[in-house]
Amino acid sequence: MKTWQKKHLQGIKELSREEIETIFNLASSFKGLSEREVKKAPALRGKTVVNLFFENSTRTRISFELAAKRLSADVLNFSSTASSLQKGETIIDTIKTLEAYHPDILVVRIGYSNCLPTLSKYTQAGIVNAGDGCHEHPTQALLDMFTVKEIKKSLEGLKVLIVGDILHSRVARSNICGFQKFGAKVRVCGPPTLIPYKFEDMGAEIFYDLDKAMADADVIIMLRIQKERQQSSFFPSLREYVEKFSLSTERMEKLKKDCLILHPGPVNWDVEISSQVKNRVHPLILRQVENGLAIRMGVLYLIGTRKGEYETGN
Amino acid sequence: MKLVIKNARIINPDQQLQADILIQNGVIDKIGKISEKADKEIEAQGKIVFPGLIDMHTHIRTPGQEDREDLESASRAAAKGGFTSICCMPNTVPAVDNETTARWIYDQARKIGLVDMYPVGAISKQRQGKELSEFCALRRAGCLSLSDDGDSVKDPSLLRKALEYSRMSGLLLISHCEDKNLSGKGVMRESSLSAQYGMTGIPSISESIIVARDIELARYLNTPIHLAHISTVRSLELIHKAKQEGVQVTCETAPHYCVLSLKDVVENGFDSRYKVNPPLGEESDVAAVRQALQSGVIDCIATDHAPHLQGEKELPFQEAPFGFIGLEWAFSLLYTFLVKEKIISLPLLVDKMSSVPARILKLEDKGLIREGNCADLVIADPDRTWTVTEDTIASKSRNTPFIGYTLSCCIEYTIHRGKISYKNV
Amino acid sequence: MLRDKTQILSAQDVSRALYRLSHQVLEKYKNPQDLALIGIHTRGVDLARRLKTVFRERENLEIPLGILDITLYRDDLTAVAEVPLVKETTINFDISGKTLILVDDVLFTGRTIRAALDEIMDFGRPRRIALLVLVDRGHRELPIRADFVGKNIPTSREELIEVRLKETDGKDEVVIVEKD
Repeated sequence: MKTWQKKHLQGIKELSREEIETIFNLASSFKGLSEREVKKAPALRGKTVVNLFFENSTRTRISFELAAKRLSADVLNFSSTASSLQKGETIIDTIKTLEAYHPDILVVRIGYSNCLPTLSKYTQAGIVNAGDGCHEHPTQALLDMFTVKEIKKSLEGLKVLIVGDILHSRVARSNICGFQKFGAKVRVCGPPTLIPYKFEDMGAEIFYDLDKAMADADVIIMLRIQKERQQSSFFPSLREYVEKFSLSTERMEKLKKDCLILHPGPVNWDVEISSQVKNRVHPLILRQVENGLAIRMGVLYLIGTRKGEYETGN
Repeated sequence: MKLVIKNARIINPDQQLQADILIQNGVIDKIGKISEKADKEIEAQGKIVFPGLIDMHTHIRTPGQEDREDLESASRAAAKGGFTSICCMPNTVPAVDNETTARWIYDQARKIGLVDMYPVGAISKQRQGKELSEFCALRRAGCLSLSDDGDSVKDPSLLRKALEYSRMSGLLLISHCEDKNLSGKGVMRESSLSAQYGMTGIPSISESIIVARDIELARYLNTPIHLAHISTVRSLELIHKAKQEGVQVTCETAPHYCVLSLKDVVENGFDSRYKVNPPLGEESDVAAVRQALQSGVIDCIATDHAPHLQGEKELPFQEAPFGFIGLEWAFSLLYTFLVKEKIISLPLLVDKMSSVPARILKLEDKGLIREGNCADLVIADPDRTWTVTEDTIASKSRNTPFIGYTLSCCIEYTIHRGKISYKNV
Repeated sequence: MLRDKTQILSAQDVSRALYRLSHQVLEKYKNPQDLALIGIHTRGVDLARRLKTVFRERENLEIPLGILDITLYRDDLTAVAEVPLVKETTINFDISGKTLILVDDVLFTGRTIRAALDEIMDFGRPRRIALLVLVDRGHRELPIRADFVGKNIPTSREELIEVRLKETDGKDEVVIVEKD
């Protein structure tokens, strides 16, 4: 691949295999940078990165912030809790105001799916999607795939299972897209009320029975479940959800010996995963965090040093 | 004033002929060879002339939201699009649920003099769906039809009473078919695309369930009902069957359901100018709508012209209000995408946009170019193209996905009651 | 398409030059225990490795070797059209107080060396840094000079010099290439 062309990172959908592999290679090098005594390189010196978080998220924000700082960029953090966002006008007005500071990269997390093309009309900065509604969370999928690749060496033919609230999950959608690009076979499992209508068209096999779904899985990604979903009758009770969809000690015994268990964090112990197996499961989840930083450094580096004609919109 | 149109190619749904037209005192006096002199003469060689269009479903936002559209801008937009009569929906502030408000709209529009505005009265007081409004008083004030558009009548027992009461007033009930519990917070058609893109979907059954309900009521009470903006395969199947069984149901669709699908929403990056209710459908819905126009299952076309402020559409898709303006290019759009593509014929388009609405609303002197009829006509050049641009839009609002579209069949004259209400030569 | 125009150094010239350079280094710096080699990716690393071998085999000296990738420290003008592949940077010893011999194949504008110097400073405080190159082709854009040069080759700016080494290219030679 000659030059990185994309002005924005909106989703895994638009990335080619080659582009994803470039990000992986960079992430490997950046892992090395974080092990040096001076954990800094001047690659993004003088660039301004704005973390524009319209949805609360300490973990993702810190990850992006540190990634930008380690590459010597100037970082601005803007957050606005969901409740103070009354009308969409605030979002676009905010972008317009920030534009006065000539930011180079906007890292955006927002509660509305597919909002980024609209936002990109109001700024010259490159936009990195840190999660848009239920649509995509590309850096999460990249770090998940990278973590699996580090251990399994290749993603081809792997059986990947995603468990939980698929309907509302951007992590699920990005991961399904990403793993499929590398030839993995993806399955989803959750209560029927939390799997979208016509989801089969995404190419993932649908299971309602976790024991069946995980039988020969190589990778299992457990998604967070929001307890409020019970209020909207997506499932009758937390107890029943845990009984059917939680990774209990019994279920852990039945998994393949080398099955990897991932979680985007933070884990609801004893809801998604039993706290009895914390020791077994936690190290890899923490490795995901480490890899997340390296992946985000790679992404910011590519978007921040991209040379190309100015494009409007996407 | 005496007005003569020379060498007109007259398009009536059942008959086309080449002739001159003499208009006097707001009426079509004579069709044939006219040799007498007139105050004004329009040469129509090479142009088509058809009866003034009638829109059964427009939102004029007046009273109460005149920043989006007022009677004057609505009249100009209508005239530009070849409309000589429009029916304005009552979801204004206040709602048109009483004689005074209805009368005011009717009279003001008359004063402006570009188009006949027939207010649509609300079925229930303040459109709350609880108590019936005064149907007879509304009829007196100029209403031809009733609707709670924007909402369906949730309580079937109230709709039943409304249908029964409408027999007495002679007003047609127009139903907005949507089950709001099913459509919920949806913003686009529920489909594999909405699943992939993580968007809350509006299932097609939200429309067809109410279509089924309303058909049953109309059948049971043997009373006519008209279904607004039909957009799905399933709704059309139900209506087709009901008509075959003799139920007095008529229906309309809007131009955008014949031209755009939900793929256009996705391909345009979820630009809120593609957000409308009912939402744009699947390709199968578009095909079904086109087929239904040809077969007659869909009786007529209505624009559902729905002005919204620029600021309101400059919002993320989820926050923006639903709706498109459309009076000004409805005819040209359908001429370009349906007539030119030989999906329907020109006489059929004229039928759907003028003659049928006139029949349904019982406007006996409109909808056809005929001696003695009201002199409402349109002269258009089928080969002249024009482009929809932001700065040439007559409406106060700009919310439409069709900006930039180059369309055929440019309207050159709109004549309303014998006077030129729009000219573009 | 590019083709070879002239061969400046043959395989034997290269090996002799390296041998001579290793002697020059030892002549200048009397305390070999303070010496360390830092090779710049890609061919600078190969050359540095060879020097390390020469020091070991001829002088019985174990000189530590670090490898440097300067991609993250480049300025815009050193940017190459290719995707910025960040390769390994490993310096496993403490550089403070040491005399570092920075090794690269060709010295041209000087920008690569400037980037390398910045990166090295992020690792610690060397006592001094000396620059050793196989070829100096002139056209400096920054005030940088080499302390040890294999061969000075005056060139015009448009000419392209290629250093080929067994490890990367299969054979040792330095050639001027031109467009076909």
